Amino acid sequence: MIFRFEQMIPLPLLEQDTAGSEVWEADSLLLEQGKSYVIEAPSGRGKTSLLSVMYGIRTDYQGDVFLDGRNIKSFTMREWSALRKKRLSIIFQGLELFDDLSTLENIQLKNNITGHVSNERIGELAHALGMEPYLHRLAGILSFGQQQRVAIIRALVQPFDFLLADECFSHMDKENTLKAYQLIQHECEMRKAGLVLTSLNETELPDIDVKLNL
Amino acid sequence: MRLLYQILWKDHSRAHLLWAFLGTLAGFVLLLAGIQFYIDIKSVLSENRDLLDPEYIVINKNVNIAQTLGLSTGGFSEEEIEEIAQQPFADQVSPFLSNEFPVSGYTENERFPDFYTELFFEAIPDEFIDVKSEEWLWDPEVGKIPVIIPQDYLNLYNFGFAPSQGLPQIPKGVLSMIKFKLRLQGKGWYDDYDGQIVGFSNRIHSILVPLDFLKWANDKYGYFDKSNPSQLIVVSKDPTDPSIIRFLEEKSYDTIREKLKSSRMNIILKLIISFLVVVAAIIIGLAFLVFLLSLQLMISRSSEKIRRLNKLGFHFREISRPYILLLLVLMTAVTGFSLIITSLLAGKFHNMAQEWSLNTSTSLHGIIFGVSVGLIALISLANVAAILISTKKLCK
Repeated sequence: MIFRFEQMIPLPLLEQDTAGSEVWEADSLLLEQGKSYVIEAPSGRGKTSLLSVMYGIRTDYQGDVFLDGRNIKSFTMREWSALRKKRLSIIFQGLELFDDLSTLENIQLKNNITGHVSNERIGELAHALGMEPYLHRLAGILSFGQQQRVAIIRALVQPFDFLLADECFSHMDKENTLKAYQLIQHECEMRKAGLVLTSLNETELPDIDVKLNL
Repeated sequence: MRLLYQILWKDHSRAHLLWAFLGTLAGFVLLLAGIQFYIDIKSVLSENRDLLDPEYIVINKNVNIAQTLGLSTGGFSEEEIEEIAQQPFADQVSPFLSNEFPVSGYTENERFPDFYTELFFEAIPDEFIDVKSEEWLWDPEVGKIPVIIPQDYLNLYNFGFAPSQGLPQIPKGVLSMIKFKLRLQGKGWYDDYDGQIVGFSNRIHSILVPLDFLKWANDKYGYFDKSNPSQLIVVSKDPTDPSIIRFLEEKSYDTIREKLKSSRMNIILKLIISFLVVVAAIIIGLAFLVFLLSLQLMISRSSEKIRRLNKLGFHFREISRPYILLLLVLMTAVTGFSLIITSLLAGKFHNMAQEWSLNTSTSLHGIIFGVSVGLIALISLANVAAILISTKKLCK
């Protein structure tokens, strides 16, 4: 899976000074499966916008985005839905958890679509991030850092060619961040998937193929 | 997908759905019961008249003042007769033939007081006459004229005139034996014939003579201007047909209303049923709206969740499923309950009707099932479409 951006820029950013951006100022930019990308920028530079465009939930941009050679504007809702089930996974900055479902149910909701992993595997993933004791708690009463870990696990219980992670470590300490990052890395390697990670650049992450400044 | 249902059903408004359910149910019961009883009553009406005995309807034009003053002639023109014959309710039509010469009758009998009166004759084909008599024959060689008079005339005499005047009452048989003369007048000449009453008609209020005779006599004696027949006899196999009354009223023709009671009843029945159906339709329409709005409200309350589910990869059709399932469950319940209630009502109605020895059906008519299923399918389809449209709007 390859994303190709042709002078793509979200409309709200047109009024901003984007000088020096390796994404918005690039004539053409490729994001390839199997590689990991970190997109670093302070707030308000369009990190979330970039991921939203790639995930098909934002269409207010100028220029073109091609996915495996096809303009993503031509994708139908059905195709987007299929992509989100099988080929694209995302960890939203806003997490998008259901507060009145338990941690486990939030993860199962996603896993039920494809039945990709077993309940044991969910347990293992929760264990890896120290979330096992919270599996049966309502997601709404967890701390934001804990919720981020739930969202990470949820993003990992489906097949994908690309994982989009939007500031997913912002409320975790260094130790938990590294644990979570390793888990993500491992899961991506297993799937030979690409990783696009946006970050405010608080923690230095190892083994990143490409760093892009936004 | 239990979780999906759990998430989306959480936002339903029980009260809204309950009222929508009850409203639809009430509308359906009203509609189905209306149809059921309509079919029942209609069959009772047609059962109650003898199928082998069609109704004979004598119609005439209303007399207007112009006719009284001699400015216009009454009677049915050939076109008008043709028009009536063409009506679906009219199986046979025949005009009444009238005498075109003066007729009088008198008695010459020592046992009865002398009696003289001017008369008129009318004739129609034999098949329209309810009196069968071997003496109902005209033979110019014999020269005896058989006459049929209305039963009512005899009753008027026997129970009205005779007691008040101190005259004897006359039984039918005796009246038939009374010999009397009939004088037919041509222009400036006349002949006397023997007359005999051979029967009494309950159907036709006129003095009838055989058609052969009247045609013969009109040829021989007639000198009046030919006028249009003033009365027609119409045979209708289905006197319950409401179009009879409608046609007569539209044309302002007159008839003995009693005979068209069932036609009139049919009209009233249709009015009541149409009213019922209109009320039912309004109720069903309103209930349908409440259904639609409740589901839309549910969807809009859940709009955040729907957007979220869509972001997680759910297609809008998958997201619609819990709403559609809820709708179908409620709609199936409406169908089931309305059929049960209607058949209970049919049973009650059957018992009531039996007290009046009318036979109605205890089971539901086939069309009831058709109507309920068809209507439910229609309402469901419209709602499903609305659900799909509004969830799609929320999805990307």
